[in-house]
Amino acid sequence: MAEHILVEGLSKVFPHRGRPLEVLCRLELRVDWGEFVSVIGPSGCGKSTLLRIVGGLLEPTAGRVHIDGRSPREAQKDKDIGLVFQDPSLLPWRTVLGNVKLPLEVNPTDGRRPLFQPKELLELVGLSAFADYHPHQLSGGMQQRVAIARALVFQPSLLLMDEPFGALDEITRSTMRYELLRIWQSARSQRPKTVLFVTHSIAEAITVADRVVVLTPRPGQVRAVIDIELPRPRDESLERSGQFLEYAQQLRNLLKEEPQ
Amino acid sequence: MTDVPLREPWEPLALAPPRWNGALRAVAGYALPPTVALAIGLLFWEVWTRTRDISVLLVPPPSRVIDRFLDRPGFFLGEGMTTLYEALLGLALGAAVAIAAAVLMAHSRLAERALFPLAILVKVTPVVAVAPLLVIWFGFGLWPKVCVAALISFFPFLVNAVTGFRSVNPGAMEFARSLRASPFQVFLKLRAPSALPYLFAALKVSLPLSLIGAVVAEWFSGDKGLGLVIFTANYQLDTPTLFAAIAVLAVIGVALNTAASLVERRVLFWHEAFREQD
Repeated sequence: MAEHILVEGLSKVFPHRGRPLEVLCRLELRVDWGEFVSVIGPSGCGKSTLLRIVGGLLEPTAGRVHIDGRSPREAQKDKDIGLVFQDPSLLPWRTVLGNVKLPLEVNPTDGRRPLFQPKELLELVGLSAFADYHPHQLSGGMQQRVAIARALVFQPSLLLMDEPFGALDEITRSTMRYELLRIWQSARSQRPKTVLFVTHSIAEAITVADRVVVLTPRPGQVRAVIDIELPRPRDESLERSGQFLEYAQQLRNLLKEEPQ
Repeated sequence: MTDVPLREPWEPLALAPPRWNGALRAVAGYALPPTVALAIGLLFWEVWTRTRDISVLLVPPPSRVIDRFLDRPGFFLGEGMTTLYEALLGLALGAAVAIAAAVLMAHSRLAERALFPLAILVKVTPVVAVAPLLVIWFGFGLWPKVCVAALISFFPFLVNAVTGFRSVNPGAMEFARSLRASPFQVFLKLRAPSALPYLFAALKVSLPLSLIGAVVAEWFSGDKGLGLVIFTANYQLDTPTLFAAIAVLAVIGVALNTAASLVERRVLFWHEAFREQD
């Protein structure tokens, strides 16, 4: 398969009270079309920074990111990137439907590009019955579903998720993993969908991904890339399989290792 | 908070009472206790002034004040409307200028650094000191009162609006950036709604202030209004009229405050402070 995202020699240094803080150091990464890739690493290793640079929200200090041959900014302009953060960041004064429609109001479309209808999207994430509710009337998991629906409006080929389930309780978290996979499968039928998924949960990283990228402590570099060869579609029974536990052990060891 | 009667877990939740009944009970629940307390207070006052034979010139009994009001209710209410009109017009003017300045300041730190000290200058200058000047400039009509009310309402709106326009959820802001929203779209869809709770706070501070402003301005340049009524009654030692005018002002203040709270509750239904429990 052809590459979708290519990250070359990516470095990011933040000025930090006169002492520069190096967050990413010559990071290399390649993600193919339609791949679901988890990024995992110790706290502060630059996972989120990497995601923000790929999403065009931050400029790298050095190195380049290509998204299907374009810069992140260009891909952003083409509405080809969907973003989901840990905080659903919904607008509390808007209804669920109003929140999903927001991207369309900000960027009225010319009719050329493929679109999801907001109502169709709510059906996809299982919230049709809640279209007229306001965010404060929904649970955390439901709010995050709205954020996912909002990110998919323009049918982006790339979905960037920054610990999307990090603020949810454990039970909701594990159901949301499989919900996300289900949504991903359905959304994929319209357009190939590559996902870059930042998390610090090992189980989450394995469950959703085709590959898991493990980063080193700050400054972040790729320590290892693990191919997850578990059959899809996946469900909860997966987490009890021997293969899953092996992957988990392997990741745990990689995260524990001291940097050379 | 809606009233849910205590129940055991296996008992079904009682159905919500009919709306009008609930509303009536809410009004009774909020209005009755202070009304009763006020009535008891007035009763003591009445008894005290009569048994101690206090001079009407110093403290008239409430019955005398009510009599005075009922002699000429149209007069008191008409003067009250004048003062109310001046106060609200001034409030609107002050709020409009403050919000316009806040829009500028929320977008530019330079504008904030240039204008904010001047705003503080307006705030710390006693408005009473400026009032005579405004009379010289604007004469004895409506405008000196409106200006004083506007000056006194300006600062609360400015401070709250600047904070409000900046208090956008950072995640929502980042999302708007990823959509490449223009500054105008960000203002319309994020900043303005985020500022609403702050603007209502400013409104509730400024409403009584604007009444003060109008009354003070009427002392200096009164051709009508409750401020003039108070000023004249004071001059003539007509204490019952003085008290009646004060009471009308107090009622206007309470009414304004209640109206602001009701509108706020409606508009900010999504805000933490006003969410209904589901």
